[in-house]
Amino acid sequence: MKKVLIIEDDEFLQGLEAAKIKKSGYDVIAAQNGEDGMRRISDPKIDLVLLDLLLPNFDGFQILKKIRETEATKNIPVIVFSNLSEKKDLDRATELGATRFMIKSNFSLEELIEYIDKTLKK
Amino acid sequence: MDDINKLKAENEELKKINESKSDLISITAHKLRTYLTALKWTLRMFLNKDLGDVSNEQKKYLDVLIENNEKSISLVNNILDSNNTNDNSTLLNIKSVNIIELLEKIISIFSGEIKNKKLNLVLNKNDDAPQVKCDEEMITAVFENLIENAIKYSHNNGSIILSIKRDTEEKRVLISIEDNGIGIKEEDTPKIFGKYFRAPNAIEKESNGSGLGLFATKSFVEKNKGSIWFESTKNGTTFFVRLPID
Repeated sequence: MKKVLIIEDDEFLQGLEAAKIKKSGYDVIAAQNGEDGMRRISDPKIDLVLLDLLLPNFDGFQILKKIRETEATKNIPVIVFSNLSEKKDLDRATELGATRFMIKSNFSLEELIEYIDKTLKK
Repeated sequence: MDDINKLKAENEELKKINESKSDLISITAHKLRTYLTALKWTLRMFLNKDLGDVSNEQKKYLDVLIENNEKSISLVNNILDSNNTNDNSTLLNIKSVNIIELLEKIISIFSGEIKNKKLNLVLNKNDDAPQVKCDEEMITAVFENLIENAIKYSHNNGSIILSIKRDTEEKRVLISIEDNGIGIKEEDTPKIFGKYFRAPNAIEKESNGSGLGLFATKSFVEKNKGSIWFESTKNGTTFFVRLPID
């Protein structure tokens, strides 16, 4: 079973995301702040990261940078899933190597699953 | 010289105020989006019966809530878009879109209002449906807004005609939305795409409105390398949208 790491500080949204992703046949682990997220990306079994940007401690950009700089994690698909949508945020995430930038409020969870399925070629 | 320095200082001060206003809008919109996302996903769970059975009556209420939630998200997007219009900041996801399917989908969303006002809405299409090269979400918002306006500002028993014309040489498609509603007064025509502007006869007909709809619509069309204009008389208005085809 493929494993998805969710890094999201809003407990309610994280719960909904995790339930839907699990129901769609993935293993899920979750982190609720940047520090925990940083620790969990070293899990060798992670196949995809769903990353929020505004997080306590380390923000999503720092985590994305670390993922891309680390040999073991540099090729993992990272979906930036945030409600930020300003050009400077999009540009920065793209420069740092985000696989895709999705604005949370503009997508349903079904559409998110569709994209995860496509990315992981389920 | 003193006057120039004073003006420069005032200008700097105004720039700072404008920047903090813009930041405040971004922060508020980000928070609003988070609340609206939670609502959107939960409502969908109810609709998908993930949380138990839903009766037909409950589904009717859910549909209204979902529609209002989507409208709120779209309003936040419009506000953010007008806040960021100068830096062209919105992410474009350009793909090939079947314009007839897109318009039919929007018409079905407004079928309730069309029926209530006994409007005759016609979609003139030919079989040679052009694929438009655009950001589907943005162009959906454009036509939702234009069709919603045509419905809002039509009289009961009025008619709305949507037409699609392909210009193969120019590699463009021209979509027109013609109504025989209240029309746009000549003195209001230069302001109609302006931020926060609402024409007095529009307010009289429909008191609710942010005055951002047509401002964001124009910005969305232009971001998709298209153009938008209109012709109006006291007998109605026709909006024209020209977009690139695939």
